[in-house]
Amino acid sequence: MVSKAVETPNAGFDFSNYARNEFFGQRLQGIPKATSTGTTIVGVIFGGGDSGEEPGVCLGADTRATGGPIVADKNCEKIHYLTPQIRCCGAGTAADTEFVTNLISSNLELHALSQGRPARVVTAMTMLKQYLFRYQGHVGAHLVLGGVDVTGPQLFTVHAHGSTDKLPYVTMGSGSLAAMAVFESSFKENMKREEAIALVSRAIRSGIFNDLGSGSNVDVAVITKNGTENLRNYEMPNERGLKSRNYKFRRGTTAWTKESIRSLIVSEEIKSTSGAGKDQGGVEVVPVPTGAGAGGEEGMEIDS
Amino acid sequence: MTSIGTGYDLSVSTYSPDGRLFQVEYAGKAVEAAGVAIGLRCSDGIVLGVERLLHSKLLVKGANRRIASLDEHIGIASAGLLADGKHLARRGREEASSFRENYNSPVSVQILSDRISAYLQAYTCYGSVRPFGLSSIIGGVDKTGPKLFCIEPSGVYYGYRAVASGKGKALAKTELEKIVNKYLDAEQSGQGAGLTCREAVDEVARIIYLVHDDNKDKDFELEMTWICQESGNKHRPVPDDLLKSAEEKAKAALEEGMEED
Amino acid sequence: MANINSVDISRLKNGEVNLGTSIMAVQFNGGVVIGADSRTTTGAYIANRVTDKLTHIHDRIYCCRSGSAADTQAVADVVHQHAQVYTSVYGAPPTVSTAAALFEKMCYDNKDQLSAGIIVAGWDKEAGGSVYNIPLGGGMFQQPWAIGGSGSTYVYGYCDATYREGWNEQETVEFVKNTLALAMSRDGSSGGCIRMCVITKDKVERHFIPGNELPRFWEGKEIIGSVGGNGQQIGVVA
Repeated sequence: MVSKAVETPNAGFDFSNYARNEFFGQRLQGIPKATSTGTTIVGVIFGGGDSGEEPGVCLGADTRATGGPIVADKNCEKIHYLTPQIRCCGAGTAADTEFVTNLISSNLELHALSQGRPARVVTAMTMLKQYLFRYQGHVGAHLVLGGVDVTGPQLFTVHAHGSTDKLPYVTMGSGSLAAMAVFESSFKENMKREEAIALVSRAIRSGIFNDLGSGSNVDVAVITKNGTENLRNYEMPNERGLKSRNYKFRRGTTAWTKESIRSLIVSEEIKSTSGAGKDQGGVEVVPVPTGAGAGGEEGMEIDS
Repeated sequence: MTSIGTGYDLSVSTYSPDGRLFQVEYAGKAVEAAGVAIGLRCSDGIVLGVERLLHSKLLVKGANRRIASLDEHIGIASAGLLADGKHLARRGREEASSFRENYNSPVSVQILSDRISAYLQAYTCYGSVRPFGLSSIIGGVDKTGPKLFCIEPSGVYYGYRAVASGKGKALAKTELEKIVNKYLDAEQSGQGAGLTCREAVDEVARIIYLVHDDNKDKDFELEMTWICQESGNKHRPVPDDLLKSAEEKAKAALEEGMEED
Repeated sequence: MANINSVDISRLKNGEVNLGTSIMAVQFNGGVVIGADSRTTTGAYIANRVTDKLTHIHDRIYCCRSGSAADTQAVADVVHQHAQVYTSVYGAPPTVSTAAALFEKMCYDNKDQLSAGIIVAGWDKEAGGSVYNIPLGGGMFQQPWAIGGSGSTYVYGYCDATYREGWNEQETVEFVKNTLALAMSRDGSSGGCIRMCVITKDKVERHFIPGNELPRFWEGKEIIGSVGGNGQQIGVVA
């Protein structure tokens, strides 16, 4: 019998979780899916030329995170930090966009330190595409990458399989069609900063209102060589309005036949033995009242 | 040999206090004992020749060749340990074929020499191995023209117009210098087209017969290859008739030389 | 810009960005002309309407990419790096044939994970202008002209009927431009504008034809037998 007490684990792979997951799958009507950012993310290049403005990049994102049909987060952040002058909007699997941007951000910092100068946007783009290509699309990060470096403002999209595009205005995510429609009709070269911000937030709003996967607020980031401005919740077009009525019932609306008040607080007493347990016959534990039976006078007051 | 007994010559991974690697120098001694090998760069190609010493009368004629092909257009003549030479030639062929595979083009003589030299050099870095007892003459014709290199046991290599290694290389080199100077003068003064491979075959044969000491050395066979228009710009043995006539001329020149003495 | 035939489209992973494409390269005396449409698609959506599928490999070597955008970009990046290392190690630029061999090796060795149809073209000292086709599963074929991508199937006949040896640069550029315009007009996953590149000993010169200035050919009449619009005939096949 002693030998049973210590069991050697079986060698090899353990597939018992497979059966468990199948069971859960049946019970839950399908294996739970990862939270995805059904998303609208966009970016434009502005300034330069005759505008008389500092050239820069303006990024935008909505703030809805979904898990299937459920809105998992109504005000999440999709504009991720890479370096002080480079930001990255993420669409796709929320966990993947979060981790891939964190990882690349970390590597860019080390790169900047070893090279003694700030990392360029193409460097970030190359790191991202090589990482994503390696995982053959299984890391589900669809990104809009923007920033300003020594070569000026730069804007890219990076797809989950590792392909990249370099364009003056870009959109991604489930709301990309709605947002692109705005860009295709209204984009101009050499916009002023304020025009760019207005265009970006209009594109995001277009995603928020026309795409089921996008919603809530508009986040904007503006990057020029003078610095990065984070305009978190730049627009909040979906604030909960005041209800014209409330549904509180007056006290005493419901009649009752019996009143019983119990304590919901669990308490226990510990008696110190000071290490002298043996002589006194061991530790004595006072039985804990588990909430059964009528509570005392010190019980919680309900409806006070 | 000042190195003997000092303990600095036991491993190739130990320097002597004055910065020498005795094991590498000993490898050079293995070369000096071997039959002479000669390479000559001509205006129209390359000629390689070796004095193949015969340690037995029972050996098959023309067997156990010391000149090998590394690629269609490159040959290697080794002086030193025969087995090391075979191994190096095999390695050279692998390098040449991997270059072809990767880049879809024939390797240049310079690049191949560089790769082989890197291989030899690696054998001067570790206590667990011995350096190659070889001095290898690599000759070939690539798109930049005829090229000739010689790699020493240390891995160092130089490009040459003409080179000799092995027993009696000093004498061979003096003879080669005469030829090179003669044709260099002719080339520079604009007279004559420089040394041709056909001429070089006779010269190389003559030098090998000259260097060979009938009294002290074992019998030998003359082995010669070339790369020129006549061989289709491929590394091929010098045709028998040409080799025969070159040998005749070499023997005659030797007789003549003796009479003069 | 899918691959060369419809079966190949299924090789793309779900949601993968695809270069449903018309690409082309033609040799002429002294150089090559390469060209491509500019459409990149994800399913029915045009992810990029001004894509540059003519990708720099070395000073005088370019490639045209078709198939998966991610795969072809990755392969081109690797070969670009090889070409740079080659130059610094061997002290001379790689030949077009060498660059093509590097592409071929990548495409063949990884044929199970790649969908990439690539045309390598450029100029080098030994061969002058040359064109190499590297189709889907690897293999390397030197050709005087090569076409590729989903749009190419529509214009093989046109190329066979039209191509002549001994064209100059100008004639070759016109050939490429017309061929691509025809391919783009028939292939749904090709389109946008035409990008071209002339590579010779002395220059790498880019040409850009916007979508509204593409060569036009017979596009039908409103009623069969009647004279169209302004009564003029538009565009004539060379």
